[in-house]
Amino acid sequence: MQSIQKNIKNKDLLLDVNNLNVYFDTTDGRIQAVKNANLFINKGECLGIVGESGSGKTQTFFSITGLLSSNGYCNGSAIFKGFDLISASENKKREFLGKSIGFIFQDPMTSLTPHMKIGEQLSEIATFHDNLSKSEALKRASDVLEIVKLPKSRNLVNSYPHELSGGMKQRIMIAISLMCSPELIIADEPTTALDVTTQSEILNIFNDLRNDMDISIVLISHNIGVIAETSDRVIVMKDGKIVENGLTYDVLTDPKDEYTKHLLSCIPPWLEGR
Amino acid sequence: MRINMIKFITKRLIIAIPTLLIIIAFGFIMMRIAPGGPFTNERALPPEIERNIQEAYNLNKPIYEQFFIYIKNLSVGDFGPSFKYKDFTVKELIISGLPVSATLGLSSIIISLFLGSILGIIAAIKKNTYFDYTIMGVSLVGICVPSFVMAPILSLFFGLYLGLLPTSGWNGGNVLNLILPIIALSLPQIAVISRMMRASTIEVLNSNFIRTAKSKGLKSSYIIRKHVIRASILPIIEYLAPASAGLMTGSIIVEQIFGLPGIGRYFVVGALQRDYTLVSGVMILYASLLIILILITDILRAYLDPRVKV
Amino acid sequence: MINKQRNIEAIEELTIIKGRSLWVDAIRRLFLNKAAVISLITLIIIATVSIFGPFFLQYDFSDTDWGSIYQPPSFKTGHYLGTDGNGRDLLVRILHGGRLSLSIGLIATFVSVFIGVIYGTIAGFFGGKLDIFMMRIVEILYAMPYLIFVIILMVVFGRNIYFLFIAIGAVEWLTMARIVRGQTISLKEKEFIETSKALGQSNSLIIIKHIIPNLAGPIIVYITLMVPSVIILESFLSFLGLGVQEPLTSWGVLISEGSREMETAWWLLIFPGSFMVITLASLNFIGDGLRDAIDPKEY
Repeated sequence: MQSIQKNIKNKDLLLDVNNLNVYFDTTDGRIQAVKNANLFINKGECLGIVGESGSGKTQTFFSITGLLSSNGYCNGSAIFKGFDLISASENKKREFLGKSIGFIFQDPMTSLTPHMKIGEQLSEIATFHDNLSKSEALKRASDVLEIVKLPKSRNLVNSYPHELSGGMKQRIMIAISLMCSPELIIADEPTTALDVTTQSEILNIFNDLRNDMDISIVLISHNIGVIAETSDRVIVMKDGKIVENGLTYDVLTDPKDEYTKHLLSCIPPWLEGR
Repeated sequence: MRINMIKFITKRLIIAIPTLLIIIAFGFIMMRIAPGGPFTNERALPPEIERNIQEAYNLNKPIYEQFFIYIKNLSVGDFGPSFKYKDFTVKELIISGLPVSATLGLSSIIISLFLGSILGIIAAIKKNTYFDYTIMGVSLVGICVPSFVMAPILSLFFGLYLGLLPTSGWNGGNVLNLILPIIALSLPQIAVISRMMRASTIEVLNSNFIRTAKSKGLKSSYIIRKHVIRASILPIIEYLAPASAGLMTGSIIVEQIFGLPGIGRYFVVGALQRDYTLVSGVMILYASLLIILILITDILRAYLDPRVKV
Repeated sequence: MINKQRNIEAIEELTIIKGRSLWVDAIRRLFLNKAAVISLITLIIIATVSIFGPFFLQYDFSDTDWGSIYQPPSFKTGHYLGTDGNGRDLLVRILHGGRLSLSIGLIATFVSVFIGVIYGTIAGFFGGKLDIFMMRIVEILYAMPYLIFVIILMVVFGRNIYFLFIAIGAVEWLTMARIVRGQTISLKEKEFIETSKALGQSNSLIIIKHIIPNLAGPIIVYITLMVPSVIILESFLSFLGLGVQEPLTSWGVLISEGSREMETAWWLLIFPGSFMVITLASLNFIGDGLRDAIDPKEY
């Protein structure tokens, strides 16, 4: 807990990103989505990334995890547990992805494979990374579904995605990232597509993951309220650049950048008590 | 099999049967109003055929009764006597042509589906590489060169100039005689299917759930096998019936050019000689086959896509 | 005080303005597409030559010359592409065939567009059970071998050229109906339709003034893809002897003759075949180009 009092890298540094640039080749020429980003995450922290659509917050983490679309490319370094994810080989990246690093996407409605049962979409991760047998992997899947507080009674393991609600699907996305005991989870706008009640349930799960299981979380959102509720430190991005970087409390009470001040002024008064 | 499946099939049959009836009625009406046909007065027929027709069609009975008798006969496979071939019934002619057309048709559909799908998937995965361009180039040829241009050219090239393959004749179903006709018949369908598959696979590869699969760190070959293929093959299943229709159409040409004594050839001869009963009979046969295919397609689609309400 | 008439006119202005900027954008994108531009030029050349070419050639398309049958292509004799079994000049016949094949393509396509648009807008606009019923019919007819139906129609009604146009058009309307219905459904949900309804415009007026003009894009794209299909259908029929009859000629007829004589006179097959293939390929590229121009996808 000590390290979170200050905005510094400590000896439990998990992810260290330096000089990250992300480009895209489009029919209108080459555009730069992320400009010289520098950030880090320590073990057990929750880092919030806030910014508007198009600020580059998602692409930053897509590039680190190798999930950029085919017309995108990046340079820089992203050291995770001693390996530079950006220059690592495809095979090496795949060792981390799904195991030590989990990714939760913005739109749960379309993020699950329609023709596969939930059980298999979970167990295939454990079968692949940890060499479990099918039954062992399914057992672990049920355990993980408990962590994300999905009711056991519904026999989710044999259901198909279209039979579930948005909130349930998002929990399954979280379950997917938990299957092989990750150390870092990147959550991209995890609650944007959900209603307010479900939103707070999901955020509670994230807090539990951080507190009970010591998992570092990157929470990307355009909603400052969400960030305020969950993050220890926060980064503000605008037009591909990081404009503010500090402890959440500091940034909220004493913002240094103009854009940050503007963002904060947009919060409706009845939220400000936080 | 889920019990709902039976209800599903029944529901589909309820629409299919009236359609078949409409098509049969179409054939029936065409025969009745055709000038020079068996049911107009301008006949100048040899007495044997005249007699056959009078018997077979009960021309003294009211027309709706004739229609019911016609359908009753159809359901036992009796299409009536041929209008031009004095000693044969339509059924006999069809049966003699069936092995040829069936061999040709089945081989072509299987080859088209498999080859087309595989080429399409490869083109999609290796998008914008030379693989992709080659496959798309070949498919362009298949689309722009109609079968009646392609078949003679193939025949000329491989048959005449290179002397590798026979250019015509059935020869009892000898494999060598089948090669050129099957290629000429399948090529347009392979072209269309490979394009469809490519477009569908590209769309699936760019979808959110494949992104999720990638984020699990799974191997590409595994993702393609378990996540991509089943999702991208759906449009091809939809295309099964029109593809078969295309093959039926194409077989008419191909049988003509390669001198194969199949149903298609009888159909053409019948059309040119105005053998109305033969022509109607073949049309009804094809239509029934296709309606069965549509049913199979519906069942396949329900099986492959759990979202379809059964 | 709401002036209903003025409001309706204002909405129509909006639709037209929206439409225009889309078009300018699309045409710009189309001309960036090299294959489409080359195809467009090729097509215009072929069409022009087919229409006006025969006036400049020394031979007429039915001039038989028993002294020079089965002549290979030669510059000297003036038979640039050779002659057929009756001594008729191949080039002139190909051009005449082009006139017929292209005009059948256009006319039959317009017949099917006409039927398809009416069918599709009704199904899409009124929706519900009517829609389901109409589309189920389309679905089943779509899988039928249309050639066979056309052949039966030709057999029964005789091999009249005008009837050919109608027969072909009558079986090709299905794809158009599907597309039009899809577009109508998505247009139906848009705000300006609701506004028109609220202002009391009648259904048929809405269909005619708002929906149909906005269908122009997809319709044009599919016209370019339907014309080749129609040309092939006509050629199939002519190849079998059921389509265009003597003394008229089309590419299908020429290819049919050519395939019979190909062993001794390859040019009779290759040249008409090439004209057809090039035309079909051009139409395909233009169609693809138009589709990309109107609805571009990044990948």
